[in-house]
Amino acid sequence: MSTAVNENAAGWEPLIVAFCCNWCSYAGGDMAGTSRMSYPANVKVIRVPCSSRMSPMFILRAFQRGADGVLVAGCHPGDCHYSTGNYHVRRRLSAFKRLVEFTGVEPDRFEVRWISSSEGDKFADEMADMTNKIKALGPNGKMRDARWQNIT
Amino acid sequence: MAEHNLEQIEKIREAVKQDLLGGRIDLLLGWEKGHYWWQSRPLFAQSEEDLEKLAWDSFCAVNLSRYLLEELKEHNKVGVLVKGCDARAFNRLLQDNMVPRDRVILYGLPCPGMLDYDRLAAEAGSVLLSITEENGQVVLITAEGEAKADRDEMLLDKCRGCIYPDPAVYDQMLLPPQGEKESPERFKKVEELEAMSAQERFAYWEKELSRCLRCYACRQACPYCSCRECFVEQENPRWQGRAYQPSENFMFHLIRAYHGAGRCIDCGECERSCPVGISLQELNRKLIKDINELYGDYEAGLDAELEPPLLTYRPDDPAAFSEK
Repeated sequence: MSTAVNENAAGWEPLIVAFCCNWCSYAGGDMAGTSRMSYPANVKVIRVPCSSRMSPMFILRAFQRGADGVLVAGCHPGDCHYSTGNYHVRRRLSAFKRLVEFTGVEPDRFEVRWISSSEGDKFADEMADMTNKIKALGPNGKMRDARWQNIT
Repeated sequence: MAEHNLEQIEKIREAVKQDLLGGRIDLLLGWEKGHYWWQSRPLFAQSEEDLEKLAWDSFCAVNLSRYLLEELKEHNKVGVLVKGCDARAFNRLLQDNMVPRDRVILYGLPCPGMLDYDRLAAEAGSVLLSITEENGQVVLITAEGEAKADRDEMLLDKCRGCIYPDPAVYDQMLLPPQGEKESPERFKKVEELEAMSAQERFAYWEKELSRCLRCYACRQACPYCSCRECFVEQENPRWQGRAYQPSENFMFHLIRAYHGAGRCIDCGECERSCPVGISLQELNRKLIKDINELYGDYEAGLDAELEPPLLTYRPDDPAAFSEK
């Protein structure tokens, strides 16, 4: 897997990796598309079967290989396709978010959101919101793997 | 060592000798003196002669429960001397289905806290020859004479934060219990770090973790790290390379700590075994503190029947991120 890192000082654009659950958030993205809403192209979506599929290693690997922000999106609590996946992930990622912040990553760089398949507008808003926050923070150097820095 | 201590060793030896020679257990996990007087290393006793080497002093910090994973492959029934943290570690392994309860006999030893040689040596100033203990004081014997120090001040870091010195699980208690302790300092360092800015915190951890050799001693010593294949050695996907890479040090330590979320018994063996002295316990304690705050008080290892907080949920759980 190679990663695009856009770090030219002047025209810097953030890279945001969004892990979206297959059943709600990814479908929410589809809804945004079919409703002809636009959201920033900085967001790269990766589809996962369920938000509880998220291993914290995916998140750190994204930071290592050039992500400036990582978003995990899943079904609203109670709406999980597998009944309880997002209840579990709420506990797990809450603990992990605080741990990542504890080691010095800015809170805005890692977020979790609940987006349902009918919330195309929310999907587009959240992606735009995340992109603006990361643009304000600037490029992320923390936890970056030096060997991946200049690959475009 | 003090006479009081010899008495205790004799008592322990008598109790385990019966079981070992009588065939109730095939192996006893205890401690013996190491190369230096300030080291007590694990003892694997199978005979009466082995038992002669048994030691119980203020340096028996090694957590013995972890050795069960290997020893139970070769021995049918194993006896273990357990301090407070060893017993919680045993509960950890029991909860993870890593050891069968009926093949282990636990001998409880309430623990007064173990001493830190580095602290003693620093306090002594010159070459430390030996120590004795009396009434909560440590007498440091050097070539130049004797000096006294408060015993609580000389404890290992991991013992300073200890709340449960008595074994939570045992078959036979060998010494009188100590009772629960208070530990106002348990989360002090975590709170200090939390009060810093993100940039300062990153600088702190970058410096700490840059020393990591990735020898994985912390993992080897840890009772919650009992996976047969660890993610650091996984070939595909390969999470950790062989080269020195600061970002992979972050990855290793965050994930190592995270695997103990809601499971870490806070025994501090990771930090004690670290050859470069990284403050690993703070990562574990941060998770303990947060999970207790968010999802209710839970102390891992005290009760093997209670479900760990990250294996369960409530529909109305709070989250550390916005749920709007």
